[in-house]
Order: sequence, then structure tokens, then C-alpha cells
Amino acid sequence: MIDERMEELASLHVLGALSGTEARQFRKAMQASPELQELVARLSRVTGVMAGAVPLIGPPPQLRAVVLAQAAPRQRTAALPPPKFRAALFLPWAFAVCLAILCAVLSTHENQLRQRISAETGQIGAMNQLAQTLQAATNDLQRTVAALQETNRLVNLRIAMLNSLVADAPKTVAVTLWDNQKQDGVFVAQNLKALPSDEDYELWVIDENQQPVAAGVFHVEANGSVRMEFKPGRLIKTAGTFAVTQEIKGGVASPTLKNMVLAGN
Amino acid sequence: MNLSAQFDFVRWLTALDEIRPGKSSFLIQPVKDQETRNQDIELLQRVGARDLSAFAEFYDKYASLLFSIASRILHDASEAEDVLQETFVQIWEKADSFDPKLGTASSWAATLARNRSIDRIRASQRRARLQNEAGVENATIAEDGETANSALYGLEKAKLIQSALVQLPAEQRQPIEMAFFSGLTQHEISEKLGEPLGTIKARIRRGLLQLRDKLGDLL
Repeated sequence: MIDERMEELASLHVLGALSGTEARQFRKAMQASPELQELVARLSRVTGVMAGAVPLIGPPPQLRAVVLAQAAPRQRTAALPPPKFRAALFLPWAFAVCLAILCAVLSTHENQLRQRISAETGQIGAMNQLAQTLQAATNDLQRTVAALQETNRLVNLRIAMLNSLVADAPKTVAVTLWDNQKQDGVFVAQNLKALPSDEDYELWVIDENQQPVAAGVFHVEANGSVRMEFKPGRLIKTAGTFAVTQEIKGGVASPTLKNMVLAGN
Repeated sequence: MNLSAQFDFVRWLTALDEIRPGKSSFLIQPVKDQETRNQDIELLQRVGARDLSAFAEFYDKYASLLFSIASRILHDASEAEDVLQETFVQIWEKADSFDPKLGTASSWAATLARNRSIDRIRASQRRARLQNEAGVENATIAEDGETANSALYGLEKAKLIQSALVQLPAEQRQPIEMAFFSGLTQHEISEKLGEPLGTIKARIRRGLLQLRDKLGDLL
């Protein structure tokens, strides 16, 4: 049984005269009452015929085509049967799926590349460290070799003090520095007496076989000093003694022993 | 009279009515109305299934009714055309949601057109003016002349409807028309007519129930 209040609400509802809240509440009540639904249906028919009680005015004839044209595009879209497979509907989804798969593959590939790069960067770092270590070892070795070479060079160096053999020049002193490996040397002397212009001093290297090898001729300055770099005329395996003789100008092939002024080893 | 005999009687009356076009018998009218309602329901179902020919048929049948309603509410032919287009687009899109239990196809479509028109008024600056007009203008329902109902139901039935409407007491008809054609709420009507809200509600209820009873099988 519908009471008067509900009849009032139903009447206002079909006229659209209820407020938003009232209309919602009424619709809710109507859903629960078939009797109320029937009343609303009857009253709606009343408002329907009441609406039609207005003077008849026909719409412009051209409006029909406009209205149908508005529906036609919607028809093409809406008429597609949803359950059936349609390529046009499927394609965007397929494309989206392909893109998703491609993204996943690329992402995986990128991760693998990142891992490889990371691993190889680590390897490069380790190799750099190794190279630095090797470089340090090489430097150490080079320093060791240099030290050894220096030691070896010093071993090959021979310093000999030459003493005066003449009575009238007792203060004469001379030194030879001989590098057996390089086969050359330096001769330094002081307080040598000056020679006549037609004579020269001549330096000799006496080898292991006691054979004298000419090492150069020289002339002293007025102060009796001389410094001369020398290189013997042939290979000296072992320098035994160094000697200086007084010879004719330009030197001789064999030393004049009675004119030996300096000797030492 | 058993059911079979009733069926034969109604069929006979229907056949008689078909033999005499334009001279409808009041007895067979409910049968025809029910058939019309069923046809409308079927038509809307086809529209809901995106049948463009059914939509065109529905337009041909109801465009005049809806345009008349929109013109009456808006008092502007151009706006009424816009509303008609919008209403039919809405019918095209919402036909599958039409519930026959809650009214006929024509009342459903009429309500759509009415609501669209009222929405347009509310969205514009004309609401206040139209509200004022609603209180002073003459009755909306024509007492004579061709109405939208005559195009829909035929002249004879339209006259019956018109007669029932104009016989309604003015104190009942006026708030009903103000609500339906001007979109006024019950409170606005109460204020406009200077009557208590309860009185307005009661008048509207009585008026609509009276119409329901008077129109009876015509609906």
C-alpha cells in the first residue's frame, strides 16, 4: 500500500520537481517497491501525454538528416560485436603487447649489458692495478739494473796512480781513470816539467801480456798541468800498468824505456 | 466469458476497427495502445542494438512530439533544434537502458527532451525570466488546435487527452505545468504561487492522480 506521502514524492519525481537528494532517496525506495514502480510508470504516462498536449510544431525537415548523420558514425563503432575477434580492435592491443615484450627484452638486454660493462670495468680496473704493479716492478728492476750497471761500471773502472821516476821532478803526480768496458780513459797530471818543442810526452797502457800500447801524446802547459782523454790504438783486455815516456815530437810506436818519466798501476 | 471467448471478442473488435479506419472504438483502443507500446519497446530495443533504420523510424514517429516540447519550454526554435539533436543522440546511446516497467517509450523520450530543455534553461541566464513568466503566463496546454499528441495518437485520442487536461482544476494544473514545463522545484512553485509547500505537493499529487484516473486505459 502506497501512502499519500509516497504518492506526493512519486508525483514530484515524474515532474522532475524533487531536489537531488530527494530524487536519489526516492529512486532507492522505488527500486525496493514494485508497487511504487507501477505508480511511477502510470504517472510517467500521464506526464508523457501532458507533454504532448502542447501545440504541434514540426522540426525543420533537414534536421532529420543531421540527426541520423550524428548516429551513423556511432553506429559503426557501436555495432561491432564485442565477443567476436576483430583485427581492428585487436591490433592496438597486439601492438601494445609487442611493445611491452620489446621493452622487456630491451630492458633485459640493457641489464645484461650493464652487468657486462660493470664486470669488464672491474676487470679493466684490476688490469690497471696489475699494470701499475708491473710498472712499479719494472721501475724497481730498472733501478736495480741501473744500480747493477753502475756497480758493474765501477767494477770496470780502474784508477791508477802514476809516480815520478825522475829525480829532478819528484813532485810530479798523475792519475789515470780507465774504463775497461768502454776502452777509454782520462789522464790527469801536475807538475810535469816542460819539454823542448821537438819532444812530446807519450802515454802507454801495458796490457796483461806486458805489451805497451800507445794511448796518445801530449804536451804540458807552462804550469806543468795536463788533462787528456785517451783511447788506446787496440783492444786492451786488462790494463796492467800505465806509463808515460818522453819521446820525439809526435810520439813513437814503441816506448823508449830509458826516457820513462811516470809509471803506476 | 472465458479467456478464449474474450480473445475472439477483442479480435473481432480489432478487425471491425480496421474495416472502419478513423472511427476507432473506445473498446478496442486499449488493445491498439498496448500494441503500440509493444511496437515502441521493440523499436527501442532495435535502436539499442544500433539499428539505424529503427532509429530513423523512431525519429519519424517522435521528432514532432519532442520538438514541440522543446519549443514550448525554450521559446526558441534554434535552441529547440539543438535540444532535439541532443535528445536523439541520447536516445541512440541509451535506448538499451530503457525500462518498459517505468513508462512508455513516448513518455521516456518526452522526459529526455523535457530534461534537456530544462537543463539548457538552467545553464543560461534566462532562468529567472522564465520563472517569472511561469507564474503569469497562460496555460501551457492548448485547449484547441492541433497538439503534438494528435500527431502521435491521432486526433480523436488527442482530443480526449486534451479534454482531460483542460478539465483539471487550474489550482492543480498550474503547479504541474510549472514543474514540468518550467523546471521549477516544489519550493520554487510554493514561493511563486504564495502557497504553503504542503498545499503545492497535495495539489500536484491530486492533479496527477486525477489525470491518471481520467485518462485510464488511454495510457
